[in-house]
Amino acid sequence: MNSKQKEILMRKRYSAEKRFKFFGIFSISLAILFLCILLFNIFTSGLSAFFKTKLILKINFDEKKLGINMNTPDEAIKASNFNEILQDALLNLDLLAPDLKKIELIDIVSIDATYELKRFYLQNKDQLNKIVEISLTLSDDLDQLYKGNFPRDIPEDRRRFSDFQLKVFDEQNSQNKIITEFNFSFFKNADSREPELAGIGASLIGSLLTILVCLILSFPIGFLAAIYLEEFAPKNKITEIIEINVNNLAAVPSIVFGLLGLGVFLNYFYLPRSTPLVGGLVLALMTLPRIIIPCRAALKAVSPSIREGALALGASKVQAVMHNVVPLALPGTLSGTIIGLSQALGETAPLILIGMVAFINVVPTYPIDPSAVLPVQVYLWSESAERGFVEKTSATIIILIFFLVLMNSSAIYLRNKFEKKWS
Amino acid sequence: MINEKIKISTKNLNVFYASKQALFDININLKENKVTALIGPSGCGKSTFIRCLNRMNDVIDICKVEGSIKIDGDEINKKNLDVNLIREKVGMVFQKPNPFPKSIYDNVAYGPRIHGLAENRESLDNIVENSLKKAALWDEVKDRLNQPGTGLSGGQQQRLCIARTISINPEVILMDEPCSALDPIATAKIEELIDELKETYTIVIVTHSMSQAARVSNDTGFFHLGKILEFNSTEKIFKNPDNKLTQDYITGRFG
Ligand SMILES: Nc1ncnc2c1ncn2[C@@H]1O[C@H](COP(=O)(O)OP(=O)(O)O)[C@@H](O)[C@H]1O
Ligand SMILES: [Mg+2]
Repeated sequence: MNSKQKEILMRKRYSAEKRFKFFGIFSISLAILFLCILLFNIFTSGLSAFFKTKLILKINFDEKKLGINMNTPDEAIKASNFNEILQDALLNLDLLAPDLKKIELIDIVSIDATYELKRFYLQNKDQLNKIVEISLTLSDDLDQLYKGNFPRDIPEDRRRFSDFQLKVFDEQNSQNKIITEFNFSFFKNADSREPELAGIGASLIGSLLTILVCLILSFPIGFLAAIYLEEFAPKNKITEIIEINVNNLAAVPSIVFGLLGLGVFLNYFYLPRSTPLVGGLVLALMTLPRIIIPCRAALKAVSPSIREGALALGASKVQAVMHNVVPLALPGTLSGTIIGLSQALGETAPLILIGMVAFINVVPTYPIDPSAVLPVQVYLWSESAERGFVEKTSATIIILIFFLVLMNSSAIYLRNKFEKKWS
Repeated sequence: MINEKIKISTKNLNVFYASKQALFDININLKENKVTALIGPSGCGKSTFIRCLNRMNDVIDICKVEGSIKIDGDEINKKNLDVNLIREKVGMVFQKPNPFPKSIYDNVAYGPRIHGLAENRESLDNIVENSLKKAALWDEVKDRLNQPGTGLSGGQQQRLCIARTISINPEVILMDEPCSALDPIATAKIEELIDELKETYTIVIVTHSMSQAARVSNDTGFFHLGKILEFNSTEKIFKNPDNKLTQDYITGRFG
């Protein structure tokens, strides 16, 4: 081969390398672009849900109208009606309103406003018979209008608030009576038919309880199963079949585990429907093979010389594995488990099958309380027509992504931390 | 010569990996408090042989060991023997340093702990210190006993593994190419160490280096294709071997 030919060959090689690099960068950029579009979309439509719009009203805590006095016990206060003083305050916004429009005036705040008043009074009993300025949650429709999620310049019959309500709202706004504050109730409240009241409290707790049940079951079982299969089980037909099945189970569509849970846990064992207990059981079945596989890989990656070193010192097999192999496999084991759990956290279909799709308006406390979970909440709200649920859907996705990122980065952190320690 | 007591003797030792025979009728006697070097080309069965002496071949499912291996006259190649007791008596140092994922201290203390050799913390401290001193590592690590053993250099790691081995007071130390992963300076240190250790222990060392075998050992065995072709004093083997193949191997004509 002369130098000319060699040069041509080299040039070909360089351009092939360049082409390959270009395609690689191109595909990565494309992936990043799509991810950015997705995140941008979710964040722009979801961020506003973390704030809520309130109307500052002058409320007269008139003891005659409330039918209470300084000495009324809390129980009686809770039973009394704060609607009248609220309505008085709202009607005061436009004293000239014709009778027909009065109902529209009352509707500009959320139906929760009267309970907000009650909660305020229970904390501030010294305000009896005083006139106090209190901020109350606006109705969902005006909330959406204020946040710019809903256009104002469309015909009256095509929006959910009237021209009259719009006029009152604008008046209040020009007097700085409309304020925005952080939406704590979004994190505290359970689901509700009223978008301005609906929150992820129930599904957040539900998700945590479900994942907790899943973790408690799947991690010890999966970890020990992996140790046994990898370190102790004899290599024969039976263990081979088990190994193949574990791999197959990891690939089974999750909805199948939902059917299994429905058939076994609900219909046979009569465990309580819609609960984190059953959800966790189902997800544990699904997660088990997804934990066993990375745990086995982590154990396999430990150099056999460590095992032999311990055995040669007269350690038993269990000692050799538990004292020396497992610590080295731990980072891989933990990160595998966390990634398995984060998959479980985003799982929807199997939980719908075991009834976690029910409308839950109380925040659960125990794993046997009916509850919702975050991904199913996303599914439920995405089906709702009200504009207010759209931002809630995206906001819930943001929370879900937050937890997923948190879990996955802790997996990476753990892996790096322990790997550095021993190498 | 006096003190020529036989520590280990094998008789008609045959080893199979599944159906493949790796060792053929090995009959040798290893002397107490002497260093025996085993040499021979790769794959001739040196590792297989020394792994018989502490029953490490039990770990390999397909490996079958037949014949007699006696230590101090007691048969160790029989079924219902607790292998952990043999391994307490016959320690092993591997080709690649393999410190445990623990601190330097815990690496050395591991054996005494699992065998319950120390009554209290003080006596454990003593064992660790003495073992590290015998392994000529104490001065280098005494200020960082709590740091991971994996943080040491290769040669230090190998001496840590030697300290770990002698921490449980074995009678025999098997070394399978202990210097093949080390640089010449670290190798020299280990060789020096072997010279000291033979006062107390019976040592069997597999090595690829002829000069190392010549320097450290009293007796040398030459393995070839699973057979022991020649076993004699090191002096004899290197000066005037009986076997032509031995001659060729030590002069580097094949291997
Ligand atoms: N775990 C094993 N499984 C199957 N064959 C093995 C195994 N270990 C060693 N052998 C075979 O036994 C023979 C001797 O190997 P070995 O004792 O490692 O040789 P050496 O240590 O002298 O290089 C080789 O042919 C090798 O292929
Ligand atoms: Mg070898």
